[in-house]
Amino acid sequence: MDTLEQFVEKFKNAVDFQTDVDLTGETNLKTLAEWDSLAALGVIIMFDMEYDKAITGKDLVGCQLVSDVYRLIG
Amino acid sequence: MAQAIIRNVRYAGMASCVPRRVLSNIKDCPPQIRSARERVVRNIGIETRRICSEWQYFSDLAVDAAERLLAELAWERDEIDALIVVTQSPDYLLPGTAVILQDRLGLKTGTIAFDINLGCSAYPFGLHVLGAMMASGGIRKALLLVGDKAASVLEPLFSDAGTATALEYDPAAPPMYFDLNTDGSGYQAIMLPAGGHREHFGIQHAVPYKDEDGIWRSPTSLVLDGPAVLSFSTQRVPPAVRNLLEFAQCPVGDIDYFVFHQANKMINETIRKKLALEIEKVPSTLHDFGNTSGASIPVTMTVRLREALLGGKKKVLMSGFGIGLSWGSCIIDIDNAVFPELIES
Repeated sequence: MDTLEQFVEKFKNAVDFQTDVDLTGETNLKTLAEWDSLAALGVIIMFDMEYDKAITGKDLVGCQLVSDVYRLIG
Repeated sequence: MAQAIIRNVRYAGMASCVPRRVLSNIKDCPPQIRSARERVVRNIGIETRRICSEWQYFSDLAVDAAERLLAELAWERDEIDALIVVTQSPDYLLPGTAVILQDRLGLKTGTIAFDINLGCSAYPFGLHVLGAMMASGGIRKALLLVGDKAASVLEPLFSDAGTATALEYDPAAPPMYFDLNTDGSGYQAIMLPAGGHREHFGIQHAVPYKDEDGIWRSPTSLVLDGPAVLSFSTQRVPPAVRNLLEFAQCPVGDIDYFVFHQANKMINETIRKKLALEIEKVPSTLHDFGNTSGASIPVTMTVRLREALLGGKKKVLMSGFGIGLSWGSCIIDIDNAVFPELIES
């Protein structure tokens, strides 16, 4: 399983930030301008293709921090 | 899953028609969302779309496609025994559009004509319904008109198109294979809730509201749950395609082209990668034509495969998926069929 740092790099690519951002596990998703429905699509695909894990939009709605998304890997 | 083989029916030709009017997802959007729109375009892969003029509707595009197709096939109007329209953009709530087009196209009154209400999965379902009706030989020549008028200036996804496909009874035709599926538990994922009987149009639907970007929206607009549609598409379609290949006893390498509904780049690329398909065998029209709903499979065949399809026998797997939720695939051998150039009306 990926470390949090490895996950964060994949997460950045999946969200497609328009400018470089510093992310940690404690970053609150609501502070990220790009954390929107498009980002959710990218993250759902990332989980499917990178971790062979099917997550839903509802799973992501329940996440507050980047580390909450990381824990969805299971 | 419903799987079926249809024999005795030949895919005789197909024509696609799009509006002349081109809409840029970057240039033709409100300034306050333009920079965010660039990110959207990068991810959904749709740069330009086609949108009907004020006077133009799906049926107008479909009629132009049908007229051109009939002319190139040199079929007489009174030879057409059936006309099926698959659309969610009917001219009126009642009567059905196929009925109106029977007269508008000058077809005989002995024509079977009715509508089917399906969106992005329309093409394989329409081919199956019409093909099954024709297989016994009672109907010799028939038309399938598929498409929608779904584009709006504000939303970046949908694009307008109308298509016409000709099928004919032919005992020598190779079999067509189908795999068709429905999951109505997901009906709220793509929905136009207002204006039907359950939520009929009222004064509350006439009042626009301002969204978080300061854009005025209408309560009668389409509701689309993007994550739900993406999960459905990327989870359901790849196994359904494998099921169809197995049912048809067709090795994946025997398929010349895989033509998927053009949903968006994220969905289509995920499906392609899951099936490990070569990009050269999976044509796309997303960049230039967007998501043309049920017309996207024929539009992609016209725009990207026309010359190849005119160049000799090809085995094509077509797969549509979307509103319903509904997903269907078919394998069709196309040989010596007619494919007019893209029509721009």
